Amino acid sequence: MILAVLFANSEGNILIERFNGVPAEERLHWRSFLVKLGADNLRGTKNEELLVACHKSVYIVYTVLGDVSIFAVGKDEYDELALAEVIFVITSAVKDICGKSPTERLFLDKYGRICLCLDEIVWKGYLENTDKDRIKRLVRLKPPTEF
Amino acid sequence: MAQPLVKKDDDQDDEVEYSPFYGIEKGVVLQEARVFNDPQLDPRRCSQVITKLLYLLNQGDTFTQREATEVFFAVTKLFQSRDIGLRRMVYLIIKELSPSSDEVIIVTSSLMKDMNSKTDMYRANAIRVLCRITDGTLLTQIERYLKQAIVDKNPVVASAALISGIHLLQTNPEIVKRWSNEVQEAVQSRAALVQFHALALLHQIRQNDRLAVSKLVTSLTRGTVRSPLAQCLLIRYTSQVIRESVGNTQPGERPFFDYLESCLRHKAEMVILEAARAITELNGVTNRELTPAITVLQLFLSSSKPVLRFAAVRTLNKVAMTHPLAVTNCNIDMESLISDQNRSIATLAITTLLKTGNESSVDRLMKQITNFMSDIADEFKIVVVEAIRSLCLKFPLKYRSLMNFLSNILREEGGFEYKKAIVDSIVILIQDIPEAKESGLLHLCEFIEDCEFTYLSTQILHFLGIEGPKTSDPSKYIRYIYNRVHLENATVRASAVTTLAKFGAMVESLKPRIFVLLRRCLFDNDDEVRDRATLYLKTLGANDTAAVTDAKEFLFGSLDVPLTNLEASLKNYEPSDEPFDITSVPREVKSQPLAEKRAPGRTPASLAAPATTTSTIDTYERLLSSIPEFSNFGKLFKSSAPVELTEAETEYAVNVVKHIFDGHIVFQYNCTNTIPEQLLENVTVVVDTSDAEEFSEIASKPLQSLPYDSPGQTFVVFEKTGGPTVGKFSNILKFTVKEVDPSTGQAEDDGVDDEYQLEDLEVVAADYMQKVGVSNFRNAWESMGPDCERVDEYGLGPRESLAEAVAAVIDLLGMQPCEGTEVVPSNSRSHSCLLSGVFIGGMKVLVRLSFGIDGQKDVAMKLAVRSEDASISDAVHEIVASG
Repeated sequence: MILAVLFANSEGNILIERFNGVPAEERLHWRSFLVKLGADNLRGTKNEELLVACHKSVYIVYTVLGDVSIFAVGKDEYDELALAEVIFVITSAVKDICGKSPTERLFLDKYGRICLCLDEIVWKGYLENTDKDRIKRLVRLKPPTEF
Repeated sequence: MAQPLVKKDDDQDDEVEYSPFYGIEKGVVLQEARVFNDPQLDPRRCSQVITKLLYLLNQGDTFTQREATEVFFAVTKLFQSRDIGLRRMVYLIIKELSPSSDEVIIVTSSLMKDMNSKTDMYRANAIRVLCRITDGTLLTQIERYLKQAIVDKNPVVASAALISGIHLLQTNPEIVKRWSNEVQEAVQSRAALVQFHALALLHQIRQNDRLAVSKLVTSLTRGTVRSPLAQCLLIRYTSQVIRESVGNTQPGERPFFDYLESCLRHKAEMVILEAARAITELNGVTNRELTPAITVLQLFLSSSKPVLRFAAVRTLNKVAMTHPLAVTNCNIDMESLISDQNRSIATLAITTLLKTGNESSVDRLMKQITNFMSDIADEFKIVVVEAIRSLCLKFPLKYRSLMNFLSNILREEGGFEYKKAIVDSIVILIQDIPEAKESGLLHLCEFIEDCEFTYLSTQILHFLGIEGPKTSDPSKYIRYIYNRVHLENATVRASAVTTLAKFGAMVESLKPRIFVLLRRCLFDNDDEVRDRATLYLKTLGANDTAAVTDAKEFLFGSLDVPLTNLEASLKNYEPSDEPFDITSVPREVKSQPLAEKRAPGRTPASLAAPATTTSTIDTYERLLSSIPEFSNFGKLFKSSAPVELTEAETEYAVNVVKHIFDGHIVFQYNCTNTIPEQLLENVTVVVDTSDAEEFSEIASKPLQSLPYDSPGQTFVVFEKTGGPTVGKFSNILKFTVKEVDPSTGQAEDDGVDDEYQLEDLEVVAADYMQKVGVSNFRNAWESMGPDCERVDEYGLGPRESLAEAVAAVIDLLGMQPCEGTEVVPSNSRSHSCLLSGVFIGGMKVLVRLSFGIDGQKDVAMKLAVRSEDASISDAVHEIVASG
């Protein structure tokens, strides 16, 4: 299960957060834990370079893309390798929408589209689509090209 | 939580002013949502409002029930629009709003219409939304469409239905299980993701049917798997099948191993790592099987991708616990990871190296770690400290450099948990390595000179009081202890006074000087400190030896009442002229509370850990001796670990501890009532001894009252004929049950007699054997001599493995394995095991076991027993012969 996908700006403010199967009372803990993890480690990291951590039996893969840091948290079958795939899909979709690594402003401008992409990529804790071109078509309600 | 962008610094206003969400407020957005009701819908404007709603929700903002309902009803109007972009947004916002079940009906018909739409993408999205908001009744109506969707030609529709199935399986398993034919068909799909999703769902549907999972794995490992993600799932399911098929296969042949090995050559890194991990986790994996997996993992250690390095080092870290030698080849690559930017990787590398390192590499390793420690977070440091502790216990000769390392990091900055881990480690090393004691104590003394944690200071002072007086020069610790009386808070000062008194009591030559110091404490401004000083001066200063012995008993003896009982009694004590009477505190030990029972395997705090085993026996001994009926049974020989007599989570939880005396045996039944609405009274256990004729019941001590979640004990006592008498006992719990009013907590006056069947209990030969190890088995064996040696051979018949046979014999005898001989190397055909113990009556027993296994897995065993009495050696043979 992908427990959480979270986007934050460079100051640690949350831009998008999606939790799956995480009780409401634990979300605050996760939010601050991830933001702190990012603040401690992401400074100076290259765009899209993946960082990885584990906390008890839960894995966290995170990266930075322009002004935005992206975190994916998973457990069981979504270990560091599967999460790396999730993050890869997310970053390519975001870059595709924004045309480049986004500034915070650009990210917010494309906010609705990014939410739709995320909806196509992760659905209630499972990875659903992995190809950015297909995702691009799906958010416009167009069938995939191979079909 | 996120701050709205308005709260950012003024300097950055340029950008902020143009932010699409600048100054966003929930109330305003909800007002704007009224555009959804316009007769002429403006799709662009509506999409913008939905985006704002999403922004609010994604930031953790919540809508009240009424707000959510209003927005939801307004959103449903948007189904009238034919604008595709808007429709996609509508699907998303409905999922985010998660309407309540009585509101769902509003959109059901629109979504059902979309689900049958000719536009594929409407179908896929409508399925996802419906499955998110639907309940069981609606599901039966749409089941037909979902089954069709699973085999839809459009992969997006099929995936949507399959993932919906994965979610619905949690809530409506009986419905989703009916789809297995369609899902089976989807597993063969040419679309990679459909196959991935179908495989996940099919496995979940069939996970309790071993045969079906095995068939699934067999067919797919021979067929085509199109995506790396699906391949990873298949590897996991294959490992599961391998695990479950253990014992049904011929030796030397492991089903599906070839498949796992072939995955090591897959083009996707994800698959290679998954396969390598699966191989390393195989039960009883051989070196030949491990080698290719370790080789690929080693390659990934130097990968440029951090995730691959992490995955590889994490896997090797696990392998190091069971096969340290197999990992040593990777040590050089691992050492270069100590400087990895990613601290999780570096920590895993270090802890792996600490597990695999040999004695000669310790010093070099410590040097590398020292540089590393300064820039990692406390939680990583704790992991490293724990690894160093184990390393030091493994290589006691290296205690000097490891202890130095611990003392150095103790001086650096760090939080409470980290410091506690270091102090705990030093304490354990002092207790386990006698040579390390003096230097360790001095390190601890230096630490309390500048320790900000009261808890740690008092724990160290307590420990110093016990260990310090036994050292060669106790006087050198006094300065450190007395400094605490000047410089610390009252809690630490009081601890320091007690520690000083302990030195005074144990070291006669220091006594006069300690008295001088204690007298100075009489002027302390804290009551507790003054009271303690007065008490110790009075008791230690007494002239008769009896009083001094009493004082020592008071200082060093443990409190003979359970602390929790004392605490409860003190809370109930109302200040009056009548002093508190410690003899009024109940001595019955409460067994584990429910919460702890459900979480076995908790590691005890290590400062108290070494005392835990003895204190359990002490506690039992005290408990039994406080009951007059048992006081003339003599010394307690052994108390067993608690044996559960009920399943987990039943109404009444009962376990039993067997206390063995020379001529008697006492069953202590620890009972817990888990029903808040009941009070049990007059609780007894009726024991049937028809299968244990050599035991005769002589007494039973009922438990007067057993309220909810407050464990209590009842006892049954048997007299037995001499020697290791064995037998089987059946047990019935009898009691009077009274209803309790949950609002007042008052029980009704009248109760009903009831009984509850418990599991049977056996007294076995191992109950008469204490696990007592010897430090040098060979010496002990030689010095015992062959006079009372008895040797015989036994056929143990076909066994699962040699290791299983060895474990069974150790269990049967209940003796302590020596020199690590209980571990059987995988795939070995013969094994020797050394055991030692003390048999009832205080007789030492040593055992040499030699095992051999043949191709048919028949195990033969030679048993040589030496003891101080030939009859005991015979008795041990008798145990094996009858077991």
